[in-house]
Amino acid sequence: MRRGRLSARLGLGFWLATGWILLVLLAALLADVLPLARYDETLAGPPRSGPSPAHPFGTDGLGRDVLSRVVHGARVSLGVGLGAVLLGLAIGAPLGLLAGYRRKAADAVIMALNDVAQAFPALVFALAVVAFAGANLRNVIIVLGVLGVPSWVRLVRGSTLTYAGREFVLAARVLGARDRRILWREVVPNVAVPASSYAFIGMAVVIVAEGSLAFLGLSVQAPTPTWGGLINEGRTIMEDAPNVVLAPSVVMFLTVLSFNLVGDRLRALTDVREIGLEPVRQAVAAVPAPTAPHPVRDCLLQAEDVRTHFVTPRGLVKAVDGVSFTLERGRTLAVVGESGSGKSMLIRSILGLLPGTAVRGGTVYLSGDDLTARSPAEMRSVLGPRLGTVFQDPMTALNPVRTIGAQVTEPLRVHLRMGRRQAREEAVRLLASVGIPDPARTLRRYPHQLSGGMRQRVTIAMALSCGPDVLFADEPTTALDVTIQDQVLRLLHRLREERDMAVVLVSHDLSVVARWADEVIVMYAGRVVERGPAAEVFGRPRMPYTEALLQAAPRLTDPAHHRLRVISGRPPDLADLPAGCAFRARCAYAGDRCATEPPPLTEVEGRAYACWHPLPSTETSLEGTHVDGR
Amino acid sequence: MAGSGNAHLRPRDEVLLRVEDLVVEFPAGRAGRTVSAVAGVSFDLRRGETLGIVGESGCGKSSAARALVQLPPPRSGSVLLDGQELTALRGEALRRTRRRLQMIFQDPISSLNPRRRVRDIVGEGPRVWQLPGDRVDEVLEAVGLDPGTAAERRPHEFSGGQCQRISIARALILEPEVVICDEPVSALDVSVQAQILNLLEDLKARYRLTLVFIAHDLAVVKNVSDRVMVMYLGKVCELAPGGDLISRPAHPYTRALIASIPSSARPAETLITGEPPSPVDPPSGCRFRTRCPRATDRCSLEEPQIRQIGEDHWLACHNPAPNH
Repeated sequence: MRRGRLSARLGLGFWLATGWILLVLLAALLADVLPLARYDETLAGPPRSGPSPAHPFGTDGLGRDVLSRVVHGARVSLGVGLGAVLLGLAIGAPLGLLAGYRRKAADAVIMALNDVAQAFPALVFALAVVAFAGANLRNVIIVLGVLGVPSWVRLVRGSTLTYAGREFVLAARVLGARDRRILWREVVPNVAVPASSYAFIGMAVVIVAEGSLAFLGLSVQAPTPTWGGLINEGRTIMEDAPNVVLAPSVVMFLTVLSFNLVGDRLRALTDVREIGLEPVRQAVAAVPAPTAPHPVRDCLLQAEDVRTHFVTPRGLVKAVDGVSFTLERGRTLAVVGESGSGKSMLIRSILGLLPGTAVRGGTVYLSGDDLTARSPAEMRSVLGPRLGTVFQDPMTALNPVRTIGAQVTEPLRVHLRMGRRQAREEAVRLLASVGIPDPARTLRRYPHQLSGGMRQRVTIAMALSCGPDVLFADEPTTALDVTIQDQVLRLLHRLREERDMAVVLVSHDLSVVARWADEVIVMYAGRVVERGPAAEVFGRPRMPYTEALLQAAPRLTDPAHHRLRVISGRPPDLADLPAGCAFRARCAYAGDRCATEPPPLTEVEGRAYACWHPLPSTETSLEGTHVDGR
Repeated sequence: MAGSGNAHLRPRDEVLLRVEDLVVEFPAGRAGRTVSAVAGVSFDLRRGETLGIVGESGCGKSSAARALVQLPPPRSGSVLLDGQELTALRGEALRRTRRRLQMIFQDPISSLNPRRRVRDIVGEGPRVWQLPGDRVDEVLEAVGLDPGTAAERRPHEFSGGQCQRISIARALILEPEVVICDEPVSALDVSVQAQILNLLEDLKARYRLTLVFIAHDLAVVKNVSDRVMVMYLGKVCELAPGGDLISRPAHPYTRALIASIPSSARPAETLITGEPPSPVDPPSGCRFRTRCPRATDRCSLEEPQIRQIGEDHWLACHNPAPNH
């Protein structure tokens, strides 16, 4: 399965390019045994003849077989390419490893020399050296190889720096591994991947450079044919025998293109994290089933049977599978769940901010107005003015090269059509309202000059700038320190009161939610498993998963070395959900029915839960609660 | 807070690890400025004890952890392991002694080499020291992984919690005396966090480990620790057994930390405002005074020293909370 995904990621172009490279390589290696005319045999056919069965690429001015000459020319091109790349690698890689691993003085000296070396005009240098030392295979390889060294040093050093800073290198050192072992075992295998991708791109560069030298007659000398030399020879007879120029040109072009393509594709693979996360592009298949008719309620925000599915090679991933809720002004709805529960995807689905591969179903109404019927362009007039958003990482939400002022005033000017001056005054007011000291000065600063807490306040100010009706806060405090976290949550609460907004608060942290939410949705494997007023859900959970989550978090009041209750196992694979209840395998109360029938979300006295064996509602033991339900 | 002093250290012959006046500094940009990450921190651990270190980002807890294993070595101060001064060791001698300390890190992905198999990652320690026998399977089993299915796979095939188990196995295989856990559960989901915390407790008993447990979550730290030390901007605020610290917090910063945990019943008046000052230019006197609701003039002039305020309860503050 993994292999299948890999080849899909590489794409058809990669395989075509690899095929071409192999073809050229084989032809070059087997040039002597292939049934070709000798490359230097004059009058093998009529001079300047076009393609024919005997001479597929035609013949040149002396009647020599062009195909044979191109194939023998490949030997020089590939040979020089391989030799120069290996030479550059052999000199550049150790220097790069040394600079990146040792840092300090070694790094400073190597990189200073490298910068000097890179300042030389490469081709002029190559011309001069080859002209002086003699144009032969060895000299061309040495010159092109040495010219490639600075790029190798740069690449290997950069990659080494990245990996040498990782904790697994620190761990190896604590284990007692010596530098040499750490380099070979921990660093080199990781650096090898970007290096091998660069080797292909380096091949392309060297082949072009060798072609240029050969064209000028400064590569391997006649009678050995080279691609550049062939193009030069053909130049004079281009009018009556264009094939002499075209054949080596096209072959060289395809070869260079192929090496570049393979190199680029390999580079795309180097980001290990990227592999599981990137949704695979594929045609839209199963659209979620049409939803049952439902009443449009008179409330601020209504979500009906929201579904977000992804079509992947592993199957249909149901990230969100039928979530409904309503939300009134001045209320906070919390969505809680662990990673992969679909809570963030639900928010993105409501906002219409999904990757192109997602299939969305269900309906979302904002004051009775169907948002899912809107086009992305129409959504833009709602996002900002009516729906505000705050995400987990303020640094990614802010543009690092623009001032805070430019970013806070932008929505004011775009959506509210304020003038520059008016927008600025409003921005000062907004920053002051989210508790930023000295707002006028902050407007002139850049995001990196602010602390994480201040940055999050700025994104909140931006989200509020157009006076939204609903504020969506997706893990707004997860990246912040506890004392700052509390300040930000208080701020959100105060702003909700002042502006009479509704807030949707997404969090993995139940204790955060318990204190600030009115209503709670607990999600598991893309579905709502429990819903109700916050105090009740956390005070007397009915669904075993909610109970287990509450008990898994350590409490301040527990004695030290208190054994925590764990939820055994792992969340199910969203591409391969079990038949019955998704939580069954981890549930202490599961029975036979749980394995076969998925429990529906049952509504009882203002609460709802999806469970065949709910916990008793009368359970008074506050032992299981984690929160003082205020 | 911002306290210095060694009053809270116990006699040398009673402790396994003793850290005295640890100072860690990093260069900050140009002009020879330095980040004062750890500024005179002392603590000690008895064999089999767990010391929790809690504080917010930038309080120096991770820098202190790395200074213990001399990666990089501290600017000054002493780290005594079983009477042996680690900061005086160099090269081969340091390498031999350091393996008695092992570390577990926060980021389960960055902690494991993506190109190596689990068997090689966990077996690296014994291979480095050319130890006889193959304990990889045994250790993998001890951390709750099935050696048969896990050993030949690579890290990206595992979830965050399982990666953290692999990290723990790698640290345990050399039978260290002290394991330093630097935010080992911060990146994990609640349910997985509980599994790892329980596992650490089990392994501690099974292998007679001494633990330094660093985290920003007071409830987590308290759960696994015998004593808890609160740090702020490179200094010690308060040190006490966990239960004592929560029930009778004396330092205004400790009180603020407890109050900011949403599930605590602490009144909001103990909350603090503002943000930590820059460690490049820390405040004079007590480093917490710029955010402290109880700060007085004395706090800016005189750095509080660590003193005893109860049985094994230590505090560095001029104006502790009255209801202690």
